[in-house]
Amino acid sequence: MFDKILIANRGEIALRVLRACKELGIPSVAVHSTADEDAMHVRLADESVCIGPPAARDSYLNIPALLAACEITGADAVHPGYGFLAENARFAEILAEHDIHFIGPKPAHIRLMGDKIEARRTAERLGMPVVPGSNGGLSSDEEAISVAHALGFPVLLKAAAGGGGRGMKVAQGPEELVATLATARAEAKAAFGDEVLYLEKYLAQPRHVEIQVLGDGHGRAIHLGERDCSLQRRYQKVWEEGRCPALNESARNAIGETVAEAMRKLEYLGVGTVEFLYADGKFYFIEMNTRIQVEHPVTEMITDIDLVLEQIRVAAGGELELSQRDVRFNGHAIECRINAENPVSFRPSPGKIVHYHPPGGLGVRVDSAVYHGYSIPPYYDSLVGKLIVHGKTRGECLMRLKRALDEFVIDGIETTLPLFRALVREKDVIDGDYHIHWLEAFLARGGMQG
Amino acid sequence: MSGERKSKDKLAIDPELVRELARLLEETGLSEIEFEREGQRVRVARQMQALAAGPSRLGPAASVPLPVAEAGPIDPAKHPGVVTSPMVGTAYVGPEPGSRPFVEVGSRVQTGDTLLIVEAMKTMNQIPSPRTGTVIQVLIEDGQPVEFGEPLMIIE
Repeated sequence: MFDKILIANRGEIALRVLRACKELGIPSVAVHSTADEDAMHVRLADESVCIGPPAARDSYLNIPALLAACEITGADAVHPGYGFLAENARFAEILAEHDIHFIGPKPAHIRLMGDKIEARRTAERLGMPVVPGSNGGLSSDEEAISVAHALGFPVLLKAAAGGGGRGMKVAQGPEELVATLATARAEAKAAFGDEVLYLEKYLAQPRHVEIQVLGDGHGRAIHLGERDCSLQRRYQKVWEEGRCPALNESARNAIGETVAEAMRKLEYLGVGTVEFLYADGKFYFIEMNTRIQVEHPVTEMITDIDLVLEQIRVAAGGELELSQRDVRFNGHAIECRINAENPVSFRPSPGKIVHYHPPGGLGVRVDSAVYHGYSIPPYYDSLVGKLIVHGKTRGECLMRLKRALDEFVIDGIETTLPLFRALVREKDVIDGDYHIHWLEAFLARGGMQG
Repeated sequence: MSGERKSKDKLAIDPELVRELARLLEETGLSEIEFEREGQRVRVARQMQALAAGPSRLGPAASVPLPVAEAGPIDPAKHPGVVTSPMVGTAYVGPEPGSRPFVEVGSRVQTGDTLLIVEAMKTMNQIPSPRTGTVIQVLIEDGQPVEFGEPLMIIE
């Protein structure tokens, strides 16, 4: 096992990793920017190192500073959390060159899944269903039009180097496609340094269903069920739940086993998430995230498996102790991402939290790094915390979520708590009858204006 | 000292004088120096515990307060002359092990002169002086790990 783990992140995920380190008995090192001197992860870690000024590119994304922090503290492993350098293959390689372990997948797999065209090809090769689309990058407008006609409009244009919802455009017909191609190419070039685009069939009202996986890098891999993350705004997940309300037992077992088998073939190492669109009873691969995800607690609540702890174990070369039979699903869990934003305009609202009272009681978990009197700095993402609620059934879970949201007090800043208080009372949400455009439609028709 | 400093109720301070005394204090290793001229007495001391009974002993002559007297125990990070580390790494005071340090307390330095080295990722980064002045204090030891923004030296 590792002697000391440096956590190359901040906020709630740094705290989440720190908790796993403590339970494993491994000393931890927190790194922080000058803006995060008072952060909870700094206070709770065994050691802390200031690695740079507030701007992330000079601190949390500063590879030389992170390596120097490993050197001066003697850390022999780095946990990247999510975001920042979590899916940077070069970072993983540089760490390896310095004999420091990266707690994550093999660099080659990070790179493979970071390139959306390669990821799609790999998914197909490994036997996972993909969205019908162009076979790789588009070489010309003519090719794009002929592919689009074969698929049927509307189609979705995607940047090969994009991800997380960025660099995507919908075209309803051939003329719109031609017009969109030029701008999409220029935008992809500007945003990702790569103008390669590809085309996919556009699914009108699919759900976003993702499969959690865990592998030991030597061909042993299991799946830990699915999460439904269809409630999104601007491709950012807002509400996640597991089990998916739209799947039956045989459908979820089938897709889970398909993905687990793909991960065995790939010899995938660590935790990962394979994301699908789900429509008309079919799954379509979108991408794979080669890291721990924000919504991982949903899976932890229904499987009772500590994903971060397992991730650290396999990264240290440990064998996967869990077999697929050991994974048992128990009840239902919902996670709400509470952001420091106005709940109607979604304008960020950094500032000082003057009163903080998290909810409690059976089946309620809050993963957050804020505290009474904490000032949310304006330099980073707006996630204040995650409220995760578990119940024996989805109905019980919804009732518990409703009361937990009503207990939650965060004063001094604006948060999206009112959005969740509204959502938990919406008929479609209660019925589990929603898709990836539902939330934006709800907001567009003034669902939050009362 | 100029005439206006004679004004009884105005607590006039000659910062240059106090600074000079503080420098002497640092150089000589003394814990306090008292200096009297034209009816004004200035006492500069370091180590707060020695100061505990200080002010009352000065009697009526204590027309000059002891602001710089706190130069020793004051937080170096808040000192106007502080030089902080621009990166995280290991600090070395000299160009190689066993060699003479680049600067010592009392050294005169020009803007751009190398003060020390911070090693990060096997790269030796020379840290230049941000100003011309005298090294008042060296806050780190050879081979000490330093964080971003950690005070390294005080140069005035």
